[in-house]
Amino acid sequence: MGGYGDVRMIDENGLRMDGRKPGDVRPITIETGVVPVADGSCRMVWGTNEAIVAVYGPMEAHPRKIQRQDRAVIDVAYNMAPFSTTDRIRPGFNRRSREISKVTKDALESVVLLELYPRSKIRVSIEIVSAEAGTRCVGLTAASVALADAGIPMTDLIVSVASGKVNDVVVCDLNKEEDNYGEADLPMGVLPNSGELVFLQMDGNLSPEEFKQAWDYNVDAAMEVHKLMVKALKGGDN
Amino acid sequence: MSAPTVPNLLRAHLSDLALNDARLDGRSKFEGRELKLETGILPRAEGSAKVTMGDTIVLAGVKFQLMTPYSDRPNQGGLMCSCEVRPLAGRHWEAGPPSPESIELGRVVDRGIRESGCIDVDDLCIIPGEKAWQVILDLHAISDDGNLFDAFALAGIAALRSAIIPAERFEVGEDMPLKVSKKPIMCSYHKVGGRFVYDASYKEELGGDERIHITLGDDDHVHSLQKGLKGIFTADEFAEIMEHAKVRCAELRKIVD
Amino acid sequence: MNSRPVGQLDNMSNESNAGGPRDSRRTLVVVPGEDLGVSEGIEAGHGVLVVDDRIISTKQGRMSRKGNTISVDPLHTRYMPRPGDLVIGHIEGCTNNIWFIDIGAPFNSILPMSLGPAKVEFGGTRKVLDIGDSILCRVQEVEETHQSVVTMKGMGLRKIRSGALDELDPHLLGRLIGKGGAFLREMKMETDCRIVVADNGRLWIDGELSNILEVRRRINSISSEARVVGVDA
Repeated sequence: MGGYGDVRMIDENGLRMDGRKPGDVRPITIETGVVPVADGSCRMVWGTNEAIVAVYGPMEAHPRKIQRQDRAVIDVAYNMAPFSTTDRIRPGFNRRSREISKVTKDALESVVLLELYPRSKIRVSIEIVSAEAGTRCVGLTAASVALADAGIPMTDLIVSVASGKVNDVVVCDLNKEEDNYGEADLPMGVLPNSGELVFLQMDGNLSPEEFKQAWDYNVDAAMEVHKLMVKALKGGDN
Repeated sequence: MSAPTVPNLLRAHLSDLALNDARLDGRSKFEGRELKLETGILPRAEGSAKVTMGDTIVLAGVKFQLMTPYSDRPNQGGLMCSCEVRPLAGRHWEAGPPSPESIELGRVVDRGIRESGCIDVDDLCIIPGEKAWQVILDLHAISDDGNLFDAFALAGIAALRSAIIPAERFEVGEDMPLKVSKKPIMCSYHKVGGRFVYDASYKEELGGDERIHITLGDDDHVHSLQKGLKGIFTADEFAEIMEHAKVRCAELRKIVD
Repeated sequence: MNSRPVGQLDNMSNESNAGGPRDSRRTLVVVPGEDLGVSEGIEAGHGVLVVDDRIISTKQGRMSRKGNTISVDPLHTRYMPRPGDLVIGHIEGCTNNIWFIDIGAPFNSILPMSLGPAKVEFGGTRKVLDIGDSILCRVQEVEETHQSVVTMKGMGLRKIRSGALDELDPHLLGRLIGKGGAFLREMKMETDCRIVVADNGRLWIDGELSNILEVRRRINSISSEARVVGVDA
């Protein structure tokens, strides 16, 4: 099983290094209104991931060539702060960030009622200030909360969770070590009210049974995380 | 950075306020906004700080890298201060390569810290000519409601003072705190409605003219100055803000551990 | 009929009745995607969608039910222009016969010369309204593709020459104005200021400087109060 077969990530009781059961997610806190100058914002701490998302708009789309006459466009900028990882990230152009920005935009455009705002732009800025594993999931989930906080109409929130495989065991919501030594990673974006999907990526190696298990973990975890998002948006006491 | 249209009424109103020695938000001309400083808030950074001044919020993070000393200074490590204001921080900040405004922010903060000599670059050398520490201070704006300069400078020095050199991770000895011997503090003044005010808000920046940044060291020595934006000022005006800067820097120095 | 939480309306009223007399501000806060019950016999208002015979919220906001109509009033929102709205705009640019106006909406407006404040010689637009000037105007029309036109023909519409402008989130204007305009009237009396509240959340305050500052202080307290209320909604 590759070069890392001797790294034990699951103990004899089936518990993971951080004490979680295979289907458990890391602790999560969600806060809105954290960027006072933005139209909507969200801070999401997920394990030791921390994402801050600000939404501006809808506003007039500039430059003109990006305008769509029949709908709004969403402009997503995902970025990892230089100090968000163990080894500093050099600021500047980065293919990984570009790709994540694009798939996040594609996911968000699937739920936002874009046709209500022709010729407009909605700017979503995702900053990862502390990264552990699964930052794209945290970024996308936090972005949907920030859009809701900005009063932008959408058909549903998006909850994004990744499951994967370590030591041949399928586990939900990989942490840093599990991500580094893991054998697969399956991030998904789930619409909690309908169970439909708007975001899907995968890399690694999963058998059909493992794939099914990872999928189910993601959907179940999404429902759990959704409760927290709703609580944050309703002000905690609803 | 996109330049929004400045409403003529805003400029006129700011002049009116100045004549009556008042400000948009009711502060007096040299009064700062409510300020909060937190350190050690970023788990992946070796030193970090968050500064909140009214609705302006910034983060600073310190990272360390091993470098080969420059051949003309074989006994010295390096210090770098970098700033990129991302579109997160405000409607007028845009994605793309760092704007001149971003770069100016980083460089002015960098000069204040570097020239104060608070970090002894000789101390950062591990093996002369071969191995030394490079200290990198990254400034990151969360919310820009004006006066990012002071917020960055304060977060920057506080983050450096909380930093631990991760020597064990790089296998070059034991972890130890970064030695930061001084506390350079920046105070910024914006010409608004014809007179200088301290700690301008975004609206005051928008309807104002030039700005002056002063960084003072522990003994009131001047370490960096910068005049930015279009505008003309007199020696008397400068003398007045310099006097205030001395008082304010001393106050701020107390809240930096 | 089915087990989905159709009865949320009732749950809500029980909840708020339990705590004593009903506070109108403490209505049910809903989030995007939330199921608000069957759509049969219900009119879908703003902020909601009908999907598979269910009413679904599309916004974070307070659900309101007026007669048969269910809608969601967002907690935060940007201004969306409608014909007839009184707005305060800033001149952003101009051509020989058109001004471009920033009205704080997701798209900007134009003010054609023919709807301007005075007769303009061709090419003399900047002499009448210059870039950076602020105007009190009315939204004339909004096309489906969000081209919009404002007019300065009408009672009281003019270039704003004195006083100060301030802002309040459009959804908070109701609190500033009060029932039947009572709150605003009171504030005008007490501060001796002329206050024009435009639908796009911009306010024109004119009077003695110290009085303007007092009005601003009161407006800011509405804003900050709303933030706190927003938290425990």
